[in-house]
Amino acid sequence: MHPVSEGFLLDRILEPGSLSVRWQPVLELRRGRVEPHYFEALIRGPQGTSAESPAILFEYARKKSQESRVDRACVEAILAEAQTLPGDWTLGINVHASTLAMDDGFVAFLAAGLEARSISAALAVVEVVEHAPPWNVLGFRRAIAGLRELGARVALDDVGLGHSNYMMMLECRPDYLKMDRHFVDGCHGDSYRRAVLSSVVQLARAFGARVVAEGVENVEDLTALRRLGITLVQGFLLARPAPAAELVAPSASRYGVTTKVRRGTAGAPGRR
Amino acid sequence: MLLMDDEEGILLPTARYFRSLGCTVDMAREPEEAEALASHRRYDLAILDLRVTRFGGAEGLEVLREIRRRDHGTSVIVLSAYISPELEKEARALGADSVVRKPQPLPALAHLAFALMGASGE
Repeated sequence: MHPVSEGFLLDRILEPGSLSVRWQPVLELRRGRVEPHYFEALIRGPQGTSAESPAILFEYARKKSQESRVDRACVEAILAEAQTLPGDWTLGINVHASTLAMDDGFVAFLAAGLEARSISAALAVVEVVEHAPPWNVLGFRRAIAGLRELGARVALDDVGLGHSNYMMMLECRPDYLKMDRHFVDGCHGDSYRRAVLSSVVQLARAFGARVVAEGVENVEDLTALRRLGITLVQGFLLARPAPAAELVAPSASRYGVTTKVRRGTAGAPGRR
Repeated sequence: MLLMDDEEGILLPTARYFRSLGCTVDMAREPEEAEALASHRRYDLAILDLRVTRFGGAEGLEVLREIRRRDHGTSVIVLSAYISPELEKEARALGADSVVRKPQPLPALAHLAFALMGASGE
């Protein structure tokens, strides 16, 4: 049992209704058009607190060793809002690797939440965020297997940074490898960055996974990514995070791509 | 600037005072919140309560460690109602620029803060 109050801010974060969601699409670049592949849910903490910034929110959760409780609160907020979205959107849900490893009931909790809202697990992409080893490898494997069994897909977030490394790729066998913006930003003018991206494209092919480039903010980088064969992109250039009510079709026409976005389209169900 | 104290009666008036002097103030009521803030933001000044009483230890020093690990040249004032020579020595060793007894009159605290920031900016 947890004490009644473990911290002023934690209490605020865990209060029902205190978290809000912004949605940012992962976009598929197709010949002549851009389509949402899935929508990543980005959490904002309680208004008027330092945790309104997601970076502070999750750093705080990690410092308090409360990733699991905060992740559960985030899932509640995301699924509640997902219900209000039009069509069958595929949802990207960020979860700490430590939550998957240490919280035995998390996958069942996610499954129950999806079921309660009549959302197919095939429309969920669990984005695994890793920050600090060591963690319970067996528990983590069980959780990943549980997600697969549900029919959810798995993305490895922040590839190339910190602990999102080869070991995590082997443990997750992800459907998506999300390249951190560090490797994307400026890739058009940096052959070393392109070499890293190219190697991950090859790795993804061998895994049967797809690469998502995060933090795409200019046309030159977008063009370089396409040349490398990366056609899933995310970033301010094409779509900023927005509340559900403000979701609009991303416009790529001014970048030399004729846009035809179909609202309500979603990525194909998982391979596994 | 970053201000950490778990006593609202000190935190809020201090924040108000420094804001009235033109400072942008982030408030933290717990060490983990202060550490999270210090991990992601650069501060010119941090005023840290050494003992956040609910936790019973010298948590301010943990925050000081985090600030010094980032090393953005932040001027750090550590406040405490109970300053022992050992604690003061430890705080100084960790990089506190000043260790002062709590409570401090706000004008005196501000004078010290601006003097430290002026000195570090030279």
